[in-house]
Amino acid sequence: MTDEPTSKRRRRLLASLASAGLVGVAGCNGGGAETEGTPADGNGTATDTPSGSGGDGSLGAEFSEFRGSGVLAQGRDEVGGTRIEELPNLEGELTIYLGGGEGGLYRDLINKLEEIYPDFSATPRVSGTADAANTIITEGSATPADVFWSVDAGSLAAVAAEELTSELPSEVTDPVPEEFHPNGAWVGTAGRARAIPYNTEALDESDIPDDVMDLPDSGIAGNMGWGPTYGAFQAFITAMRITEGKEATRQWLQGMVDAGITEYANEFFVSNAVADGEIQAGFANHYYALRVQAARPSAPIDLAFTSGDAGALINVAGAAVLEPSPQQELARTFVRHLLSAEAQEYFATRAYAYPMIPGVPPVGDLPRIDELNPPEFDLARLSEIGPTVELMREVGVL
Amino acid sequence: MGAAGDTTREPEGRLRLFARRFLGLDDDGVSTPLVLLSGAIAAAVLSPLLWLLLRAGEVPLAEARSLIGSSGDVFANSLALVAIVTTASVLLGVPLAVLTVQTDLPFRRFWTVVIALPLVIPSYVGAFAYVSAFGPDGELADALAPLGVQIPEVYGLGGTALVLTLFVYPYVFLTARAALLSFDETQLEAARTLNVDYFAAFRRVILPQILPAVTAGALLVALYALSDFGTPTIMQYDVFTRMIYVELNSFGDGRNNATLLSLQLLTVTAVVVALESRIGDGEDSGYGAASSSSVLISLGRFRWPAMLLPALVSTFTLALPVGILTMWFVRAEALAYEVGGRAFEAGFALNSVYVAALAAAVTLALAIPVAYYSGRSRSTFAWLTERATYLGYAMPGVVLALALVFFSSNQLAEWFGPTAARAVYQSLPLLVFAYVVRFLPQAVGATRSSVLGVDPSLLGAARVLGEPPRRVFRRVTLPLIAPGVLAGAALVFLTTMKELDTTLILHPTGFTTLVTYIWRVQEGGYYGRAALPALVLVVVSGLSMIPLLVQGRDQ
Repeated sequence: MTDEPTSKRRRRLLASLASAGLVGVAGCNGGGAETEGTPADGNGTATDTPSGSGGDGSLGAEFSEFRGSGVLAQGRDEVGGTRIEELPNLEGELTIYLGGGEGGLYRDLINKLEEIYPDFSATPRVSGTADAANTIITEGSATPADVFWSVDAGSLAAVAAEELTSELPSEVTDPVPEEFHPNGAWVGTAGRARAIPYNTEALDESDIPDDVMDLPDSGIAGNMGWGPTYGAFQAFITAMRITEGKEATRQWLQGMVDAGITEYANEFFVSNAVADGEIQAGFANHYYALRVQAARPSAPIDLAFTSGDAGALINVAGAAVLEPSPQQELARTFVRHLLSAEAQEYFATRAYAYPMIPGVPPVGDLPRIDELNPPEFDLARLSEIGPTVELMREVGVL
Repeated sequence: MGAAGDTTREPEGRLRLFARRFLGLDDDGVSTPLVLLSGAIAAAVLSPLLWLLLRAGEVPLAEARSLIGSSGDVFANSLALVAIVTTASVLLGVPLAVLTVQTDLPFRRFWTVVIALPLVIPSYVGAFAYVSAFGPDGELADALAPLGVQIPEVYGLGGTALVLTLFVYPYVFLTARAALLSFDETQLEAARTLNVDYFAAFRRVILPQILPAVTAGALLVALYALSDFGTPTIMQYDVFTRMIYVELNSFGDGRNNATLLSLQLLTVTAVVVALESRIGDGEDSGYGAASSSSVLISLGRFRWPAMLLPALVSTFTLALPVGILTMWFVRAEALAYEVGGRAFEAGFALNSVYVAALAAAVTLALAIPVAYYSGRSRSTFAWLTERATYLGYAMPGVVLALALVFFSSNQLAEWFGPTAARAVYQSLPLLVFAYVVRFLPQAVGATRSSVLGVDPSLLGAARVLGEPPRRVFRRVTLPLIAPGVLAGAALVFLTTMKELDTTLILHPTGFTTLVTYIWRVQEGGYYGRAALPALVLVVVSGLSMIPLLVQGRDQ
C-alpha cells in the first residue's frame, strides 16, 4: 500500500500520545490539580513548553503540544475521554469556516491535526461569528465549506435553522451532555461560563448572592464593574430578559446603575480591575479571571457562580457538518476529533474553556461542568440581542 | 457642436437629438465609446444593489413599516453627526492644504504625509484608543485628573464627531491639496498687482476654483460618517448603521431587515449626493497651469510657529493612538499572554500593500473615463453615471460583501455550475472588485474636480494645432489632471489598506492582510497583540504614500 509509511508514522505518534498523560503528571508537581490548583502553587519550575522542545523527553512531546504551558495548565491529572488513536483516520481535504477562533487557537489545533495526519489538510477561513453564519446562509447550497465551527451557539443555530446542517450521528454527539447539543444539528466543543470575579481581599465568596437577581440590593453592587458593550455581557442580559422577563431585567439594570456600578470597555478590563482592587467584583466570562491569574499568579482574584439563573449561563463554541458538503464522513470524523481527550485538554489549558466531555476537568479550581448550575435555556435564542440592546439603551446603560 | 441643427426636421431625428443631448455626445471631448464605457462602469458598481432589492423584498410590509418608522431617532442622530463631521473636516482640511501647498512652511513634504496619514487608521483602532485614553478610567483621564483637568465625556455625539473628524478630514485635505497644486498661480499674482491681500484673493480667486474639489472631499467625509460602523459603536452613539449591525447579528429575519435598512441608508445617500452636485459645480472656469507648489505666501516670522498647527493635529490623530497602541503592546509583552495562531509575519504587510496597490490601479483606470465624461459633459446621463458611483461607497461593507457572496457563489453556481462559482468566489479579482465598488467615488471625485479645472480653451488650442483628441487627452489633459488622479489613488490606497469587513468575508483563503490579522487577535481579546501590526499598518501606509504625494513638488 502506498500509505504504509504514513500509518507507521502515525502508530508511533499515537503510541507516544497514549503514554503522554502519565508523563505529563510525572513531569509536573505531582498532580492534585483538582484540589491544589491555586495559582501560587505552579511557580514555573516545570519546563514543558508548547513547542514540544522542552525537557520532558520525546515521549511526552506530543501531548504537551496539546496541553498549554501556563501555570494553570500544570499539575493536571491524566484526563479521560476518547483518545485520538481510538478515532478513525483523517484523510482528505476539508474547508472549515471559523466563526471567531480564540485569537488563532483554533487554527493551531487544526495545524496539529494536520501534523498527526499527513494525508489530511484543512483550509480554515476566519471571520466574525455572525459574518460567518450570514456568509454560509447567503452561499446556500453552493457553500464551499464542509464544517462550520463557531464560538457562539446562536450562529450555529442560525445556520441550522436554514437547514444547511446535516444530522450528526450519536457516535459524534454522545460524549457531550445533551444541553450542549440541543439536537443533532451541531455539537458543543468548548464552553464559557458567566461568572462573578471577585477580589479575595475585599470579599468572601459568601458575600456574593446565589441569585444574580439579588445583586442590586446586595450591598456590593456599588463596588462592582461591568462591560455593557461587550457581546458576552449582552448575551447574559438577553438570557435574563428571556428567562426573567423584560420588566424584571429593566429593574435589575436600573438597580445596578443606581447603585453606582463602574463601566469598562470589556470584560478583561473588568477582571483586571477586580484583581487590582479597583472594584470588588464584576461580571465577566470565567476565563478572563483565569487569564489574569495566569499572568499574575498572586493576584487576589477568584470566581463565584450564581445558580440556575442567567448569571450562570454557559454559552458554547460548537461545530456543525454542512449539508451541501460532499465529505460528510470526513467532516464528522473531524468533529469527533474536536471532542477527543487531546483537543478538550487543549481548549481547557489554552483557552481556559470548559471542556465538553466529563473526562477532562477544567483548569485551576474551577468547578466541573456538572457542578455548575446553568439555567434551562435554549442557547439558540442568544442571537436575539436586538430587544436587549434596546432595553439597555432605555435604561441608559448603552 | 452645431452639427445637430439640420436633423431636427424629422421626428426620429428629434429623438436622436434628444438622445445625443441626454448622452452629451455633442459635448467637447465626448465620444460614443467613452459614454458606453462610463455607463458600463456605473452599471457594474451598482449591480450589488440588486441583491439588496431581492432580500429587502422578502420583508413583510407591516414589519418593513415598523422598522422604518422606528428608525426616526437614529436617523436624526446620523444626520447631526454627518453635518458636524463634514463642517469640521472642511475647517481643518482646507487650511492645512493651503499651509502645505502655498506657504513656505518648513518640512512641507513631511507634513503632507503626516497630515494625510490618519486616513489609514481603522476606526475601531482610533476609537478604541480614544476610549481607552479618555474614557472612564482611561489612561490620560487618570493622568490628568490630579492636575485638575476634567476630560469631557467621550461617549456620545461629541466624542464620535471628534474622533471621526480626526480620522477622515484627510479626504478634504487631499482633494483640496490636489486642486491647489493645479491652481494657476499667475492668477494670484494678477490679483496681487491689484493690491488685493491674500485673504481677499483667496476668497475671490482661489476658493471658487478649489470649491469643486473641497466639495468632493466633503462629500466623501459625509458619506463616510454616514456609513461607518466602528466609531459610533465604540463611542456609544446611536446611529443608523448600528441598527443594521444589530440586525445582521441577530440572524433569522435580521439579514433581510439589514438589507432594507441599507436601502434606506442608500436613499439618504442618493439625496446627499444629488444635493452636493448643486453646490459642487459652482464655477468651472479653468486653471491651466501644470501642477506646482511654489511658495505663494511667505509666512515670515510665523514660518516656524506655523508648524504648531499640523503638529497639534497629528498629536491627536497619530501620536495619541500610536502611543496607546505602544502601551498596549508593552503591557501585552509584560503579561506574556499565551496566544495561539500564527505569529505576525512581514508577508501580511506585503499582502496589504499588494492588494491596496492593485485596487488603487484598477479603481483609477475605471475612474478616469467616468470622471472625464462627467467633467466634460453637462448631460443628464453623465451626471447620473458619475453620481451612481457614489452609492456603493455608502453601502455598509458587510452588506456589500454578502451581496457579492450571493452573486459569486449561489447565483453563479446556479447559472454556470459549481466550477464557475469556484473560480470566481473568494478570488483576488472579486475582492478587488469589491474595493472598486466601495472606493470608486474617491477616485472619481478627485479626478473629476481636476477635469473641471482644465481650461477648455487650452484643449481647443491643441486641437487647432492639429492634435487628434486622444493625443490631446494624453499630452494636455492628463498632465493637468495628474494631481487629482494621484490624490484619488492615494485615497483608494489608504482606505483599501484599512478596509476590514469586505476583506474578511471575501479574501482568498489563506490571504492574510494586516487588518484581518489585527481583527483576528483583537477578536480573541488580545488587544496588545494588535498593537504591532497596527503600527506596521501606519508606517507602511506612510511610506507607500510618499511617491503619491511628492508629485508636483517644486522642481
